[in-house]
Amino acid sequence: MVKEEILQITRRTTRSFSSSAAAGNEAEKTKISEPYNPTLKDLVFGGNHLNYDDLLSSFPARGVQISQITRLLGPLNSPMLPIFIYGGASTGKTSSILQIFRHLNRPFVYASYRTCYSPCLFFESILNQLLLHRKNAVNGYSSSKRCEKPSDFVNFLRESLLSVINDLKVNSGKSSNKLAGKPHGSMVYLILDNLELVRNWDKSSIILPFIFNLYDILKMPELGLIYISTTSPDTYYSNVGYIEPIPVYFPEYTEEDLRQIFMRNQANQKLYSSFLDVVLKPFCRITRRVDELSTAFSSLFRKYCDPLNDLEHVPNEEMKRRMFSHFQPHIAPSLNEIFWVPSWPSLDVQPNREKKQKSGVKKSRGCEDFAELDFHMSTSAKYLLISAFLASRNPATLDASLFDSTAGSDSRKRKRKASVKSMEQKEAAEQELLMKGPGTFPLERLLAIFQCISSVADDPLDEEHENCALRFESGDSGFMSDVLMQLSSLCNANFIIKGGSCPLEGSTRYRSMITEDLALKVARSLKFPLPNYLYRR
Amino acid sequence: MGFQSQVEKAKHLIRSRLCNPNFIIKPLSDSPDSNYSKLKFTISSSITEACNNSILLVGPRGSGKIAVLELVLNDLLQEYPDTISLIRLNGLLHSDENCAFKEIAKQLCLEHNLLFSKMASFDDNSQFMIAMLRECGLAHKTIIFTLDEFDQFAQGKQRLLYSLLDAMNTVTSQAVVIGVSCRLDVDQLLEKRIRSRFSHRKLLFLPPSKEDVQRLLEHVLSLPMDSSFPHDYAAQFNGKLQNLLADDRFKEIISSYLNSNSTINHLVRFLFIVVSFWESKSGFLSLENFKSALSSILRQPKQECIKDCSILELYVLVCMKRLEVKEQNSYNFNSVMKEYKSVQDSFQTSDYYARNVCLRSFERLIQRELICFTDNRAQGQSVEFRPVKLLVSYAELQEGLKSYRSCPIILQKLMEH
Repeated sequence: MVKEEILQITRRTTRSFSSSAAAGNEAEKTKISEPYNPTLKDLVFGGNHLNYDDLLSSFPARGVQISQITRLLGPLNSPMLPIFIYGGASTGKTSSILQIFRHLNRPFVYASYRTCYSPCLFFESILNQLLLHRKNAVNGYSSSKRCEKPSDFVNFLRESLLSVINDLKVNSGKSSNKLAGKPHGSMVYLILDNLELVRNWDKSSIILPFIFNLYDILKMPELGLIYISTTSPDTYYSNVGYIEPIPVYFPEYTEEDLRQIFMRNQANQKLYSSFLDVVLKPFCRITRRVDELSTAFSSLFRKYCDPLNDLEHVPNEEMKRRMFSHFQPHIAPSLNEIFWVPSWPSLDVQPNREKKQKSGVKKSRGCEDFAELDFHMSTSAKYLLISAFLASRNPATLDASLFDSTAGSDSRKRKRKASVKSMEQKEAAEQELLMKGPGTFPLERLLAIFQCISSVADDPLDEEHENCALRFESGDSGFMSDVLMQLSSLCNANFIIKGGSCPLEGSTRYRSMITEDLALKVARSLKFPLPNYLYRR
Repeated sequence: MGFQSQVEKAKHLIRSRLCNPNFIIKPLSDSPDSNYSKLKFTISSSITEACNNSILLVGPRGSGKIAVLELVLNDLLQEYPDTISLIRLNGLLHSDENCAFKEIAKQLCLEHNLLFSKMASFDDNSQFMIAMLRECGLAHKTIIFTLDEFDQFAQGKQRLLYSLLDAMNTVTSQAVVIGVSCRLDVDQLLEKRIRSRFSHRKLLFLPPSKEDVQRLLEHVLSLPMDSSFPHDYAAQFNGKLQNLLADDRFKEIISSYLNSNSTINHLVRFLFIVVSFWESKSGFLSLENFKSALSSILRQPKQECIKDCSILELYVLVCMKRLEVKEQNSYNFNSVMKEYKSVQDSFQTSDYYARNVCLRSFERLIQRELICFTDNRAQGQSVEFRPVKLLVSYAELQEGLKSYRSCPIILQKLMEH
């Protein structure tokens, strides 16, 4: 909440926006008609100047780190060795370093490997910023320099750095009076964020040592390098090796730190404080990440305030007790849910809801008949989903006995056999199931099961699968193309995953990704007796 | 000039010294048996005698190889201004042969005021290099090739090294190839045809001795006694520094740091942190600065990571450890959850959370790199089923639990059996 606001402003992508917004709205409007000409001013953070006390107060519990970094950056125009900032996610690494630069008002270039996901993009993004180049319609959204190799990059970088530093020196020499927004000093800092992502690149074994050795390769004292990573420097193994940059560690916030953070900018301090007394401790046992906590707290606080009709009210002891008793039943379930969309109207949120499954699915609000299922899906897609689930869970050899009435006796026999198995074997099999996960299956098997179960459901009286085989034959083939479409959309929604093709058969194999709970829920919405068909070991 | 501004100036001076490797290495290069003298002798003799030569500078990363080389080259450029042309290559940038030849051609063109063509092919560039070697040999000019990260050039077909050394042996050229590497076995990486053409001169760079370190500290940290600082401030500063250098506690701090990081660059990095701790209010470096720098640079990353974990994450870690103790060789999230459930069933703690919450904390642990997947390919399996392994040892986890604030006692008990 409070924290989020800061983060939003400080996101570097919005930096150019905020600097132009400071000049007024008209700057924004003119951007559309005529290209905005960037100047050296764009290399600083822009916006209003931030003094050191404001900087410290805007980052509670980060005073040690901020003073450490400012001391390492040193006074104006003093060279520095590369530093390496690391700490868990959402501990304020990026935002505090950017705000420090806003405070210092020194020129810097920021590149995050989250957005610059390939060497080429990274090189060009740095060069574009240094050469004050902006992609727009006039230049066809092209970069200033085409650059793919590290060797070209180093040459371009050296050239552009020299020219920028020269300009900065001329600038600072020319006018002694301090203009607002004019960069201080003639050092240029490179901030490289999300460094841990580089390890997953194809050529990481070359690029990573290159990035770490950039300072030694360039040999320019006017360049300051700052790396930001979520993992510690020890996780960057490489056989080339490098001198570790100076580490600056951002530890996870403690409970008291979190209280300070959440108390910032609260309208009713007393009320929120009493709320935090209740929720902070149990939630901290699960996670101490600000982003996760703030989403959980924002909805909980609303619930906490329900009995109050006046939010300005300062609660007394008795009121607090009443609110607590009203609120207490909500705590335990909210601890056990991980993803909650506040716009969602239903209050009885199912605890086992996976975000992965939700994300791919279009939600529809007004389907009362599927109250249990929080997304809309066509009936045939549901059957397809269930058959994929069955195909993944059941061994293929049992298909005949489960879906074919003539082989019914066989299944019983098998079952007995399974019960005879010694406990040890059973445990081993269970272990194997836990380890292996859902099995794969070819398309033909999926379609066969689909036809069986959809035909069973067509006849509501048909509890047993007597005429299953009969219907199988009568199934029309015109139905097929539609099913394949459904299947591909299920694949796109991540319900079913297309695996690698089988090396012997050559056909694509699929795998169902849904949990048993979800499958049961889907089956219930169709009134399909799924447990009858599920093979239990 | 006020006292405060003098301090600022002194700080700035020392900071810029620390960022200038050539300055740092200087005091270590006076003696006749230093690497500096040896290297300078070798190169200058091959310049004066007009012969080819090759030499390897080998030593751990950060031991000042490049700095010494730069110092030598600068001196030689002053001594023989017109007879040397320098070509600098870096293995991290030019390990690709095509790129390397292009860079050589480019630098040669720049040096000799020729027009460089971007379109020139690999073959053109290598021909050009050989022709230039011959021309320079006839004109009695020496080309010095410095190959930083030499081991990177020794990967793949090693065509660059071969054509370079082969040209030196056949053409009447006059060139020196200087390879710089932190791999001690770098000459073993070379192909036979290259090794036979390479003169096996190796200069080994060792960590500085105690006396060297002492000299280096004095050299870097003391203020000049000329007119740039007021005489009494500089004298006072240097006097305090001498006292500090003689202090036994100070020596202990330096040696405890050098025990783990012994090279010159590590020392420089340490001094940089010391200077960053130096408050402007106190005009002089103190022992406290060194102490706090030492504590900030010696870290225990795994302990930090464990301290960052929430209680639930610790539960997951302990459950994984228990599985490992049970000698279950391969496990994934599902088996961890089974263990977690059995722990919760038998001890009835308040920390029993839903499967999804645990999965989220499991993912956070992966992000923290306290655990990782044993297989690298994602191959369509979801997180729950991919086998994982712990990246902390039993002792580290136990130590982490002990130092964790308000760690449930049950967790430590679970670790024991």
